[in-house]
Amino acid sequence: MGIHSVGTSDAALVRRVRTGDTGAYADLVARYRDRLGRYALHMLGNREDAEEVLQDAFVRAYRSLARCDDPERFGAWLYGILVNRCRTGGARAARRARRFVHDPAALETAPLAGPDGRAEWDDTVRWALARLPTESREAFLLKHVEELEYEDMARLTGAGISALKMRVKRAREQLQAMLKEAERV
Amino acid sequence: MFDPVDDLIERIARHLQRPVQIDPALDGRVMREITALPTPGGATALGRAWRWLRRRHQLTLTPLGGLAAAAALAVVVFLSRMDRTPSPAPRAESRAFQFVLVAPRATRISLVGDFNDWDATRTPMRRAGSEALWTAVVPLAPGRYHYAFLVDGSRWLADPSAPVARDEDYGAPSSVVTVGAGGGDS
Repeated sequence: MGIHSVGTSDAALVRRVRTGDTGAYADLVARYRDRLGRYALHMLGNREDAEEVLQDAFVRAYRSLARCDDPERFGAWLYGILVNRCRTGGARAARRARRFVHDPAALETAPLAGPDGRAEWDDTVRWALARLPTESREAFLLKHVEELEYEDMARLTGAGISALKMRVKRAREQLQAMLKEAERV
Repeated sequence: MFDPVDDLIERIARHLQRPVQIDPALDGRVMREITALPTPGGATALGRAWRWLRRRHQLTLTPLGGLAAAAALAVVVFLSRMDRTPSPAPRAESRAFQFVLVAPRATRISLVGDFNDWDATRTPMRRAGSEALWTAVVPLAPGRYHYAFLVDGSRWLADPSAPVARDEDYGAPSSVVTVGAGGGDS
């Protein structure tokens, strides 16, 4: 699993929290906030939703800390909770989008620019990522951005390795097609 | 060999791997929320139980053992009134529920669930009537609760008389009880 910690070990912090040192949990939150926040942000495409889901994941993890049976792998365990919360949060965000976006053509209006302009490239990548099906986006991010092994991805998502490989392959193909289309226009 | 697809994906991945800064105020919001929660302790016995549960086991049952296992039948009984106060503090609008487990060979049993933060020390069950019958009474407000029985500090049992729930975050089976606004259970 590509999740590591430095300084005081996760296991030591988890043990302190379990014995009543609530402040030690702040160290864990600070340690994983940005790393997990990046995944949530890319999955949900919206900072407000990402922070809400991230906060929910941290609180759920705290409530269930007694059930973290390998404190050395707290990061991976927490990651699993976040992946699940992002699925729920993503569905909620999609429902909200369906309620408020009434012009389908607006969704097709992509920022059309090449990778030379950093801001335009950022917009283009976000636009393409948001258009991927949720499962493909999840698989792509876990594989290519978080750089997890397929075995770890399977553990986190509950999907089979073959299915995950297929999702990653489709995501790559779709991203390539969308980016090429954007560069042409 | 240069592969334009790999190159494009690599550029996208590198772009998305740039550090993201989440508002550090989130730490404060999390800490404020968890300060109101009980310490997630009681982990020693419970952690062992979870580790045990998540390993593969081969069970061999003698005929007598099979009968005992078959006798491990649990029911959730709603009590509209009760005379004694259970260990967790009752919340507003909560009603008392009695959890019953038949387990003739157990020496100690704890009821654990969402309502006591899965803390094995908070709701010990007591023998009642027959030697085989264990009970605990818990006040529950309307809502949906996952729960299980922890037998002899190491054996984790879902309630055979209640719907089994697969926890979406942790993947282990437990039982679920839903308390309606009128106080009934399902």
